[in-house]
Order: sequence, then C-alpha cells, then structure tokens
Amino acid sequence: MNSHEKPISLFNYWHYKILFIFCNFLILSSVHALPSFARQTGQNCIACHAGGQFPELTPYGRLFKMTGYTIGDRGNPLAVMAVASYTKSATPTTDAAFAKDAVALFQTGSVFVAGKITNNVGIFSQFTYNNYNNQNTDTNQWEGKWGSDNFDLRYADRYIDANRDLIFGFSLNNNPSISDPWNTAPAWLQYVPTGFGVTGADASPIITQLGSQVAGTGAYIFLNQTVYAEISGYQTANGSFSFLSQGIANTDQTKLKGINPYIRLALSHDWGPHSAMIGLLAMNTNVYPDNLTLAGPTIKYRDRGVDAQYQYLLDPHSVTAQISYIRETINNGDITGISANASNTLNQLKMKASYIYRAKYGGSLSYFSTTGTSDNILYPDTASNPDTRGFVPELFWTPVQNLRIGAQYYRFNRFHGASNNYDGSGRNAKDNNTFFLYAWGAY
Amino acid sequence: MINREPTNNARPQQPCTRYRHKRREFFFLLISTSIFLSACMTEERSRALDDPAVLPKTLALQVCSNCHGVKGVSTSPIFPNLAAQSKIYLTEQLKSFKAHGRLDPEGYEYMWGISARLTDEQIEGLAQYFSEQSPPLGKNLNENQLIAGRTIFEQGVTANNTPACGSCHGPKAEGMQLFPRLAGQHADYTKKQLMVFRNTDQRPEGALMKTIAHGMKDEDIENVAIYLESLPPS
Repeated sequence: MNSHEKPISLFNYWHYKILFIFCNFLILSSVHALPSFARQTGQNCIACHAGGQFPELTPYGRLFKMTGYTIGDRGNPLAVMAVASYTKSATPTTDAAFAKDAVALFQTGSVFVAGKITNNVGIFSQFTYNNYNNQNTDTNQWEGKWGSDNFDLRYADRYIDANRDLIFGFSLNNNPSISDPWNTAPAWLQYVPTGFGVTGADASPIITQLGSQVAGTGAYIFLNQTVYAEISGYQTANGSFSFLSQGIANTDQTKLKGINPYIRLALSHDWGPHSAMIGLLAMNTNVYPDNLTLAGPTIKYRDRGVDAQYQYLLDPHSVTAQISYIRETINNGDITGISANASNTLNQLKMKASYIYRAKYGGSLSYFSTTGTSDNILYPDTASNPDTRGFVPELFWTPVQNLRIGAQYYRFNRFHGASNNYDGSGRNAKDNNTFFLYAWGAY
Repeated sequence: MINREPTNNARPQQPCTRYRHKRREFFFLLISTSIFLSACMTEERSRALDDPAVLPKTLALQVCSNCHGVKGVSTSPIFPNLAAQSKIYLTEQLKSFKAHGRLDPEGYEYMWGISARLTDEQIEGLAQYFSEQSPPLGKNLNENQLIAGRTIFEQGVTANNTPACGSCHGPKAEGMQLFPRLAGQHADYTKKQLMVFRNTDQRPEGALMKTIAHGMKDEDIENVAIYLESLPPS
C-alpha cells in the first residue's frame, strides 16, 4: 500500500457516507425515484429496459429512443447516477491496474441531462466524474476528473398510419453506435465497467475505442418496425465539437483524418413476447499515428460486424441473448515502426445470455474472445498474439428500480495468446481472474 | 500591389482554422434547423402527452400504438388488445389509470404516466378510436383446454358458484358496456388480470370480479383465458 493512503473503513470514509445516505434515499423513495426519462413518460424503468436491466432496451424502449426521446411531457431533464465497487484479482501485481485491488471504491458518478426538448428534438447526455481518473506523479494520490461521457442529440419524426410506419431522424453524438437502439452495438454491449482489475482483452477494434473522442452526425430510418438503416460520419471532437470530448486531454485524444463513415443495417421482428434482430455494421476509420501531428499518412482501420439479439419479455420472465462479432483489418500503409506487419487483423466475439425474474433477480453468462494476427510490436508478450478469451458469470439484484447490486467474475482461459506463462515470467491467464462487486444507483 | 495580408498583426488563417469555422457553422446550422423544423411542426405528429391540442388519433398512432398496435391489436401479450373494446369501458379504464385507481403492476408501471395529463376529451377520443377498430382474430389453441375453458365460459364452475362469464361479457364474449370484450384477448393478459382480481385488491373498479374469480383454480383461469383468446370476431 502506498504510504500516502490510509486504510479505508467503509463507514468513516466520506464517499461511503454519501453513498449510504444516497442508497437509503433511493430505497425510501422507490416508486417515485425515477430518472429523467421515466419522469418524462411517467412509466416504470421496465417499460423501456428489458427486465429492468440497464441499458438493454425493450421494443418500446427502442421506439422511444428512435422517436428522439420525445414521448411524454417536457420536464426536469436532470438525473444522477453513481457506481460503487469492489474489485479483487486472483493474483494482483504492482501494475496500476491492480492499484485498488480488494478496496471498496466510489468509482464514478454521472450527471445526465436527458429528455424531450421540443416535439421533435430530444437529448441523452451524460457527464461522468471518474474518482480515479489518474495518479498524481508527485504525490501518487489518485485524482478525480469530470468528463463528457455519452452524448446523443436527436431530431426525429414519424409518419404512421394503418399501412406504413416510417421513423426517421438525425443524431449528433460522440461515439459510433451509441445511436443504435439494440444492445449488441459496440457502445452498449458492456455493463458497469471498472477501471481496475482485468475485465477483458487489451486489444479491441477501434470502433469500441472512440467514445468521447469523436463527433458524429448521421441520419437513420426505421421502416415498418422491421428495417433499420443508419449512416453517419465521424471526425475528431475538437474545435466546435470539443464539448463532446471534454475531459480528454489533447495528448490522449485519438485524432481522425477527415470524416469517417459508419453504416448500420438491421432487420427486426417482434412476435408475441419475442423480439429478434440481426444486423450488420461497418466503419472505416483513418487515424493519425501521432495524435499531435495531424498530417501525413494514417492508419486505416476497417471494421465489419455482424450481430444478433433475441428477447423474450413476459412478466415474470425476461430472457435475452446477444451476439456480436467484429472483424477489423488494420492497414499501416507507409507507416513503419508501429507494428511488425504492414497489415493485421483483429476479431472480437462477444456473447451474452441473461435471465431476470420479476425484474428483480437476474443472472447472465457472457463469453468473450479476441483473436488476431501475431505481431511482436503490437503484442510484445511471448506469443506476440492478442488471443484473449474467457467467461463472465454474473448475478444481480434490483431491489428497487433505481438500484442494482451485482457480482461478476471474469474467468480467463487465455490471455495475450497463451493459457500459461503468457508473459515469459510465469504468469498464467487465470492469474487475471477478477471478482467485481458493484452497487449502481440512479435518480 | 494590394496588401492582402490581415491587419492587426493577425496571423493568416491556417487551413485547420478555416475548417474549424466551417464546423462551427455546420453545428449551429444543424441545431437551428432542428429547432426550426420542430417549431414548424404542428401537433399532427406530436408525441406530447400534456398538450390538449394534440388530437386523440395522433396520440393513438404516435404513442399508444407502440404497445397496443396501430389498430389496437398488440403484438406482445404484456399489452391488451384494445380493438373493438367498448368505448365506455376504455374511457373508464383510462380515467382509472389517471386517478391511480388501478394498482396492478401493468397498470401503474405503464399507464399511470401515459394517462396522467390526458384531457377528458382526449380520453373520450382515444376510447372512440380503439372501439371503432376491427376486433382481433381468434387463435387456434390446445383443443382440450378449449373444451374446458368453454365449459367455464358458458356454464361457470358450479362447485364454487362461479357464474358463466358470458352472462355479463356477452354470449360471444363481445363485451357489454362496462363489461369488457374478452374475445380474442391475449390469454396471458386475461390470466394475469384474473389472478389480480382473485389474489389482490389492486383493481377496486373490478371488485365484482374478485367475488367471481375467488373460487377459480389456476387451471380454470388458464383454460378460460385460452378459450377466450381462441374466439373469433362475432
């Protein structure tokens, strides 16, 4: 333990006093404790979220999103959210990833401005305070920071009668696929992330890494509640769009060359209590290798994805399943020194199945796999390969709709290309196994 | 030669600065266009639930249809079919939701908020719209359950004095005034509501049904609900 830190006792640490009071407040005010969208429609969270399982949307929740968050009354758009957590790794090291191993933390807090603005314009925006954003190099103390998180400003309209149903809209957002209404989108296929411990592969497609770094504008349609199509263009969120990347230092921001296209197609069908979707996505991204020198050749990422989702929603049971596969090719062109190969591929597979009873008691099982070509510069460990695979079982409890308590266990079968001795120093994949306990609340 | 250099010691604009200005213009154009388009829009396609000027049919199409279907026939059995339901029944139900009279989960989770600010005229208009739609088609379901359910519907359950459903809801379950149409209704929805009547006091407006459902076994409820879903339009 660092000499500047004191042992944390749960109830004499001010963060926890606040959290404790906050949680009790939520419990006491259960029925009326609705975040801004729920206040706007007056409906319970389960109307829009499958089994109350955030952020996964029900068919109605998807329509609410695609019609620009405009159903209901314009009201107080403010909402808050907080996540407290406890992370325990199987074999922690001195690496910063394990700096808060086996320590209860108030990890992040968010303020939302979300709701209807006009009959056609609505917003979902989130600003997050990361209590452990960085470690001061002088004092070694962790420092917190506010930053722009999710942002989606929409204009939407709907032409509907007995013979047709056409929803169309435009979105200004800061993350490719955040505008997507299905939970298989890269921006949404994750739950309650933690900044500590090892909770996935180090390598991931660029489309999953651009959140709060870019600004995108796009248009979408949803025809007869069957065909969804979206096309957007993303650029670096700087200049007039810098509010979309607030909190990201210029030196840390991924810099894109020009406008980078994102395309999404999906087919959706609902029957009885069932809902299914199958979709495709594609994004071409040109990234400057030196984010402070915005000239010269770029690294060309080409992401192509296929995904599907199934939901069975009929009280008291909610069953949902998602699968997402993204194949990325990375072409370095004339750029040398950043990888051994002129081009590489990276394949990311994510699957998840969930069951929730009475929107209160739930469990899920996820599988993740990241594979790709070997490259001894990109992947400096012994195998020179990104191959990382594992399972994540999870149990959660939602005592009231604004509070969820959950436990996840990240079990790694392979890490950085090997099951055993992946770093050449005797560390095995299972040494990264991580237990993650969280309490999530929103009001 | 004319000096084209900027004055006041300002540096010439670099390409990136010019593009930044264009991006700013584009951004403000986007925002102002959105607001302009919104302002131009009439209530014809509004999803506002607190605006008396929005016509009931607009609300039915833009909001209610999300769960109950454009023609009042819902896809998911979470949500009841409203098509061909009697106008007076729909009106009373909407008023009951608005007054928080219905306390069953489906009532308050979905409908309290939706109905909270509807005017009496909008409620009447919504009831009118859905009452005029064609009734749902019946489904062919398990034959044994249909026979058992039909017996309950037509004769009641004599062992526990449960009267025949048809005596109030009509011989073909088509509904009569405040007694709702049951023909073609989702079996799961009917089943849940019978459970609510039998096991709780969450629907005081249906107190009569509590007495009737009191003696029904789970199996009776299941069978009659399936029979009712099978009934075609009368």
